[in-house]
Amino acid sequence: MAVQPELEKKGFAQTVLDAADDIFTRITAGIPAGEVRRMLRGEAPGRPNPRLKPHSEAFLLHIKPTYYHESVTRFTHTFRLGLLSTYLFFVETITGLILMIWYAPTPERAYTDMIRLLSNVPFGQLMRDLHRLGAELMVLIVTAHMVRTYLTGSYKAPRQFTWFTGVILLVVTLFLSFSGYLLPWDQLAFWAVTIGTSMAEAVPPKVVGETVNLLARGAPDIGANGLMRFYLLHVLFLPLVLFLFFFVHYYKVVHFGISLPSNEEEIGQDTANKVPADRRVYFLPDVMIDEASFLIGFTALMIVITAFFFSAPLESIANPQSTPLHTVAPWYFYWLQGLLKIADKTIAGVILPGVLLVLLIAIPYLDRNPSRRGRDRRVAIISGVVAGIVMIILSWMGTPYYAVQGAPPVEIVQELMPEEGMGPVREIGYAHLPLGKYDTREKPVTEDEEFNHILHEFEASIAAFEEKDPTFNQAYGVLSVTQEQPSLKRITWEIFWISPEGAQDKFVRTFFLHENSLYWEQYGLKDFSFVRPPAQE
Amino acid sequence: MKRPWYSFLYVRSPLVKIGLGIVAVMVSIAVLLFLGVIEDRRMAAQTANWDGRAIEKGAEIYANNCYTCHGPDGKGLPGVAPALHSKYFFTQRLKDVGWTGSLHDYVASTVAAGRPSKVKSQWAQMMPTWSQRFGGPLRDDQVNNVTAFVLNWEADALTQGTPDNPDPWQPFQDAPSKAMAEDGSAPVAEAPVEPTGPRSPQELFAGANGMGCSGCHNLDLPQTADSRGPVGPNMANLYETAGTRVPGEDAATYIHNSIVAPNAYISEGYMAGIMPQNFAERMTEEEINGLVQWLLDPNRQR
Repeated sequence: MAVQPELEKKGFAQTVLDAADDIFTRITAGIPAGEVRRMLRGEAPGRPNPRLKPHSEAFLLHIKPTYYHESVTRFTHTFRLGLLSTYLFFVETITGLILMIWYAPTPERAYTDMIRLLSNVPFGQLMRDLHRLGAELMVLIVTAHMVRTYLTGSYKAPRQFTWFTGVILLVVTLFLSFSGYLLPWDQLAFWAVTIGTSMAEAVPPKVVGETVNLLARGAPDIGANGLMRFYLLHVLFLPLVLFLFFFVHYYKVVHFGISLPSNEEEIGQDTANKVPADRRVYFLPDVMIDEASFLIGFTALMIVITAFFFSAPLESIANPQSTPLHTVAPWYFYWLQGLLKIADKTIAGVILPGVLLVLLIAIPYLDRNPSRRGRDRRVAIISGVVAGIVMIILSWMGTPYYAVQGAPPVEIVQELMPEEGMGPVREIGYAHLPLGKYDTREKPVTEDEEFNHILHEFEASIAAFEEKDPTFNQAYGVLSVTQEQPSLKRITWEIFWISPEGAQDKFVRTFFLHENSLYWEQYGLKDFSFVRPPAQE
Repeated sequence: MKRPWYSFLYVRSPLVKIGLGIVAVMVSIAVLLFLGVIEDRRMAAQTANWDGRAIEKGAEIYANNCYTCHGPDGKGLPGVAPALHSKYFFTQRLKDVGWTGSLHDYVASTVAAGRPSKVKSQWAQMMPTWSQRFGGPLRDDQVNNVTAFVLNWEADALTQGTPDNPDPWQPFQDAPSKAMAEDGSAPVAEAPVEPTGPRSPQELFAGANGMGCSGCHNLDLPQTADSRGPVGPNMANLYETAGTRVPGEDAATYIHNSIVAPNAYISEGYMAGIMPQNFAERMTEEEINGLVQWLLDPNRQR
């Protein structure tokens, strides 16, 4: 036996230790335990550097550079936004795969599957909230990544093509997020996507727009076909496109190196790949520790936010027959909705966004200024900031606060008890709605402080609209709360006013509220009231 | 080199990074453990939440479609539609019809597919089919919601049978009740309460002890070519049209005859035999006359 002489020579303990070290080295793809120890103690590598081996041996590491320029490893140079975008894509893939287990993309099943996921699957709500939070963060961070690249001028030669793939990735990210919007099949999803796809209809000429719309929806209106198409886009096609462009993008990043801070190189030069030996920071261990701890910290942050502050909304089941008041696109398309309010559908919905996209892609070719230094790029930076401000203003115009006010009584009730979502009345809940009839002219006061607050708001809101709207005079409201059934209250809002013709007008809206209903679908501190045992009667 | 104001974000020490990473892992584990511990209660609360919301949606559907026949509080309208908010309905009905499924299935299938049979029924109207599967307006989830709403009366219906909370016990004629007073499954038959005087027309038309007219006749809409009552004619413009229907009958005679002998003259487009034939026995002559006057009053008080 070959083992025996080895054993005799080294002794039993040493043989076991060597075998263990061998296994360790295989797992780490080439780094023995002693070298890991030296890494952790911050000792310099020997020569030849044994810490480069995993880059050639391990598949996952072969795409990472072996060392970086010290200047670009500073957190404040890149803010790790590209890494974060990539990481969020993996978070979305994993949480998305888990969500797919309980989901069937048909109008009959989709919404009930959501409810089942929330009420019957352990950690189902956490997965859904994480997926939603990740999607919104991904849009934010990909955008921030682009803004950072713009501000440091990193799109300039030789990185024009990297910028191009980045723009594609931004667009794919937006569409990924948007296509996922429809899948819960609630009112929010249905109408946001109806608005979104109706923009495609504006593509000139008419026959093209209609065909594009038909292809996206699978029918003149969104239904079973549209849901299936958006599902396939969301889980298969767009992730594949993103995957492809990610690797092209990342290959270009590694190929050219991350651009240095502009004041560290001569104007017009690109020395990112010529790293002097004394400025090298090796991936193992320094960059790996940095990236790993950063991503772990970010994950913890996401879990904490999801657990305590963030809920993915779920409204009533999609109803093609009733458009909810103040339907909005997802927040990252508010600017488009704002544009649509002030311009023609074809211009604002298709031509302007198209021009914007082409402009974005063309930036590296339009900006012939070779310098990446801030003080040499005043025009570029100022126009970028102006564009950002315009986007924010347009986004604000896209919200219901701008130029879509319904009739005063509709708005008053919507403010206190919206058709969808929570609103202050559902927030205080069943227990804080004492039965009775409350007329704002009598300035009623009840024993319930929170309900008094609602009554006060009702009164104040009527008074505010009376002042603002000349057609809304001598208005008063009557709020009645009656017991409809065991554990079910009927809340009737009646608003009376005198129209300009002098006639008495009336608006009535009725809602029901069940004792067990928890309206969580708002961003804010989650209500853990269910943790406490129910109060003994 | 001037450092930007945000340079404090750049942590250099790998040990600090590792430390922060370990803290982050521990925080994540703690939060996930906390969520795991309360997960059962969260799921229970969410289940109750979505059940509650189904009842809210069902209440809206009931208020828009069902209450005209089954009554605003679900206690039915005599001669129009049975009480659902009733101890009989929750305890005896399934046994009487020999339904082996659950009450939820029974209600949901009745809402969805209606009650087409009129054999031996004391109800004036047929239950229409409500589900889109059978030509009605409601989706499956809406049928389930309205079923949840109806079943939510259970807690109150089971306490019925006291003087404060009487049971509108309504055995159906289509399935003679097997419940018996002796074994306690049916209320002891009470002596019918003698009316203390003539009932008001409002009470007769729409009241809980009335004739159930409001189930089929709408007082707020006029009967015109583009506004027709689906089961019985609308009555907002009755004072104008009543005298023109049958030659030789003035308005009051026409309405009186239509109440005591509904089949004598059927308005065009409606079916004979829908309106109960026994109103002459269930109301006194004085009450019928009061009702006729009230129906003919253009400014009638509701």
